[in-house]
Amino acid sequence: MEKVVIKDSGYRLKKATILRTKNLTRNEKFFEIALKDGSSLDHEPGQFIMVSLLGIGESPISVCSSPSRRDSFDLCIRAVGKVTRRLHTLKKGDEIGIRGPYGRGFPVNIITGNDLLIIAGGLGIAPLRSLITYVLDNRRDFGKVHILFGCKEPKEMLFSDELEQWSQRTDLHYACTVDRADPEWAGNVGVITTLIPGVDIEPLRTFAAVVGPPVMYTFVIKELLKKGIPKRQILLSFERNMACGNGKCGHCQIQNLYVCQDGPVFNYEQIKNLSEAF
Amino acid sequence: MEDTQYVVLKKDRFEEFIAALSSMQKLVAPVAKGFGAYAFEEVTSADPIALNYIPTILPLKKYFMPQRETLLEFTLDRRSHAEAVVEYEPLTIFGAHTCDLAGIQCLNMVFSERPKDYNYLLRKGTITLIGLECNDYCDEYASCHLVHASFPSGGYDLLFTDLGDYFMVHINTVSGDRIVRTAGLCEGAGSAHMNELRSLRDRKRTVFRNEVPIKTKLIPELFDAVFGARVWDNLNERCLACGNCTNVCPTCYCFNIKDELDLTLARGIRYRVWDSCQLEPFARVAGGINFRKERSARQRHRYYRKFRYPVDRFARFFCTGCGRCTRACMADISLKETLSELIKESEERVWKKWL
Amino acid sequence: MKKPKVGIFDFACCEGCQLQLANMGEQVLSLLGSLRVMEWREVMSETWGKKLDIAIVEGSITDPHAVERIQRIRRRASVLIAYGSCATIGGVNGMKNNFVFDEIRKYVYGDSYAFFPTEPTKAVHQVVEVDYFIHGCPVYIPEVVTVLKAALQGIPYYVPDYPVCVECKLNENVCMYDRKVTCLGPVTRAGCNSWCINNGNICYGCRGMVSNPNEKGALDVLAKYGIPTSLVVNKMNMYNKCRELDEP
Ligand SMILES: Cc1cc2nc3c(=O)[nH]c(=O)nc-3n(C[C@H](O)[C@H](O)[C@H](O)COP(=O)(O)OP(=O)(O)OC[C@H]3O[C@@H](n4cnc5c(N)ncnc54)[C@H](O)[C@@H]3O)c2cc1C
Ligand code: SF4
Ligand code: SF4
Ligand code: FES
Repeated sequence: MEKVVIKDSGYRLKKATILRTKNLTRNEKFFEIALKDGSSLDHEPGQFIMVSLLGIGESPISVCSSPSRRDSFDLCIRAVGKVTRRLHTLKKGDEIGIRGPYGRGFPVNIITGNDLLIIAGGLGIAPLRSLITYVLDNRRDFGKVHILFGCKEPKEMLFSDELEQWSQRTDLHYACTVDRADPEWAGNVGVITTLIPGVDIEPLRTFAAVVGPPVMYTFVIKELLKKGIPKRQILLSFERNMACGNGKCGHCQIQNLYVCQDGPVFNYEQIKNLSEAF
Repeated sequence: MEDTQYVVLKKDRFEEFIAALSSMQKLVAPVAKGFGAYAFEEVTSADPIALNYIPTILPLKKYFMPQRETLLEFTLDRRSHAEAVVEYEPLTIFGAHTCDLAGIQCLNMVFSERPKDYNYLLRKGTITLIGLECNDYCDEYASCHLVHASFPSGGYDLLFTDLGDYFMVHINTVSGDRIVRTAGLCEGAGSAHMNELRSLRDRKRTVFRNEVPIKTKLIPELFDAVFGARVWDNLNERCLACGNCTNVCPTCYCFNIKDELDLTLARGIRYRVWDSCQLEPFARVAGGINFRKERSARQRHRYYRKFRYPVDRFARFFCTGCGRCTRACMADISLKETLSELIKESEERVWKKWL
Repeated sequence: MKKPKVGIFDFACCEGCQLQLANMGEQVLSLLGSLRVMEWREVMSETWGKKLDIAIVEGSITDPHAVERIQRIRRRASVLIAYGSCATIGGVNGMKNNFVFDEIRKYVYGDSYAFFPTEPTKAVHQVVEVDYFIHGCPVYIPEVVTVLKAALQGIPYYVPDYPVCVECKLNENVCMYDRKVTCLGPVTRAGCNSWCINNGNICYGCRGMVSNPNEKGALDVLAKYGIPTSLVVNKMNMYNKCRELDEP
């Protein structure tokens, strides 16, 4: 057997260093990360990377910071299994491997100049935070911005400081809800769809960006269509099992589409007839 | 049709030719495994080669994308380091049927598509492919004519056609030419030889007919109409989700990626292994949601990945008609039958619309 | 890194799997070199009785004493590995559950049977929490190595949730069904690298069933080969009887 090193391999890793971590909830942890060679990740909002721990494995994780910050990027990781649990034990200065960014994110060129209705369920706030912070960095380039956020319980709320800040801003409209309140909770109670009828939008110039657990999509889409938002302007990000990120291993397929390359962000027009999507 | 691209190898020189091939580099060819089964294995002489064989248990993909293949090598000590590698072994494959050549053509398209897969492409560059034309059907499971794989259409360095007491050899590439010259056992093909080749092909055209009652070009349309067919529910009852049909398929290339440490726990590799859309964990994500929980959905996905999705992406079918999936299925799920049932059900639907 | 302390314990079983451990040979000695074996009845006499990093448990739980003993071991061990089919799925001991218990006790212990309490055979995870499963009768050494490595790395080991057929095909064996012989490969979870079939035997289902087997489909296939359902059920029960005690 002969062996050669492949420079351009799609599986080659870039080294990256953890600059800062923060526990967001019991299960979710925040990481600020920089590439070791000092280069910029150059991602689009909504794209993901493969995070690699040698000897353990890889996981697809959304980049959750704005591309306008070039010297580092953020991840928000929920501990569920092999890779993610081990990631939670890492601290400042530790090294990880990454590949990517991968896939198609939110089409910023197309949505620039329009109004935005951003709808996040639970961990869906992670990919959307990259869009939201990008929009806030370039606030003048967008029209009205609405952010709706929902999660199961108040103590599961991610990025609560930032959500608090957003709720204070006068240049955007923010609302949130929880499925189950606790005694301190004074806000809305109910599923996220209950917030949609109340937002005041001009449907034809509004793009909706929706990320959340799979069960959320059908209901949210129904409400958005009721509002009159065109199908092409409803943007959804999908999560699937992934191994390669290169459109080869087949794990992420939704019928003829590859979530890792053609997505993870799709517009509703693209996938409305794909029964494997919902 | 007088052509320098054709030479003749007399059968009494076949043994010498194989010996010459095997002296150049590792040679593999179909050999009998008993119980009517065959496999590609290393040979050093013509003796064990089965010239009259039905498709092997595993197709040629096992040489192009091995069952288990290293992607990265790494060390975990303080200065941890990872390097992307490809491992390969220069190889000549003798005796590939036209369906298996078609299978490699499919894989070539997949792994050349951006982002390119250099593990596959680099290894492919070290493999010499010698085809062997089928003069007749292998058995009743084959459906190669339906997908245009019953006649040779490239994808080889040399192609052998059995014409009685000699092989007609088509030289398709420079490296094929080099082999013929190095062996020095072939002679020029005359017009009598060319006539015999032509009449074999004419005879084949009367033997090979679409094995399923549909015009090939209408298959994509058929699949556009049957996503919700009852046929899939029937497969749900029968399929055992064993993954045999995909592991033996020449155009199934799905894989998983895993890490493994050696016994020192300080060094390791990241490797890929064949995976299958038929298996329970394939589309399952954290939290336990399985996006193809039903075996019917998995079977449907398999058929669409043969007959519909690649038509958009690569403008060809990803079934080569080799019949392996049918032979390997202990639940007797037959590709030809499934297609026929889909045709029947779609006709019913058309009628219902009119009534 | 301090060497993890390991204890090896046996319950109702033939101890054949421990023998595998003792036979594991050089490849594994280097791995075991990173462990400190504190208790192992088969090879050492004293018991140690303190906190363990890893407990390797062989055998199934068949009487009230065993229940207490496994609970004590669980309390002492940070990581518990169920080792061998008797421990992971109840294994052949589960066949006891086919009978009326008093009859078995009479049969085994004669007239004094009342002094020997018995209970339905249980797999270890049906009594205490288990961190790693090493299936097999006997265990397959390369898998033992993989699991021990995972335990040392502190990461989970997922037992393949697909049938033995997958590995059998990757090994390019001639399928038993093509040899007109029935085989439990299609419903038995992989991980043994189709060990038995590679060596000319059929799969007896010693590793337990995949999580979502198509049992009806499998019975149809076997029926087609002229095998009566009762025989198949017996064959499956040989190792898998305790499955009915698992939570759905
Ligand atoms: C595009 C995309 C973006 C994503 N973005 C984020 C993000 O920003 N943040 C985030 O936290 N997550 C994100 N995810 C999800 C994340 O990728 C997964 O949670 C992660 O890959 C889990 O990997 P793991 O190794 O930790 O878990 P695994 O060890 O793979 O296990 C996950 C779960 O499945 C079970 N499991 C897995 N394999 C088996 C098996 N063989 N048998 C039995 N059980 C098994 C485990 O018990 C566990 O509950 C994203 C996913 C995608 C596709
Ligand atoms: S070979 Fe047959 S039983 Fe096995 S997964 Fe394929 S269709 Fe199902
Ligand atoms: S689908 Fe079946 S007949 Fe078609 S190429 Fe694959 S194994 Fe051969
Ligand atoms: S993750 Fe492999 S094809 Fe998309």
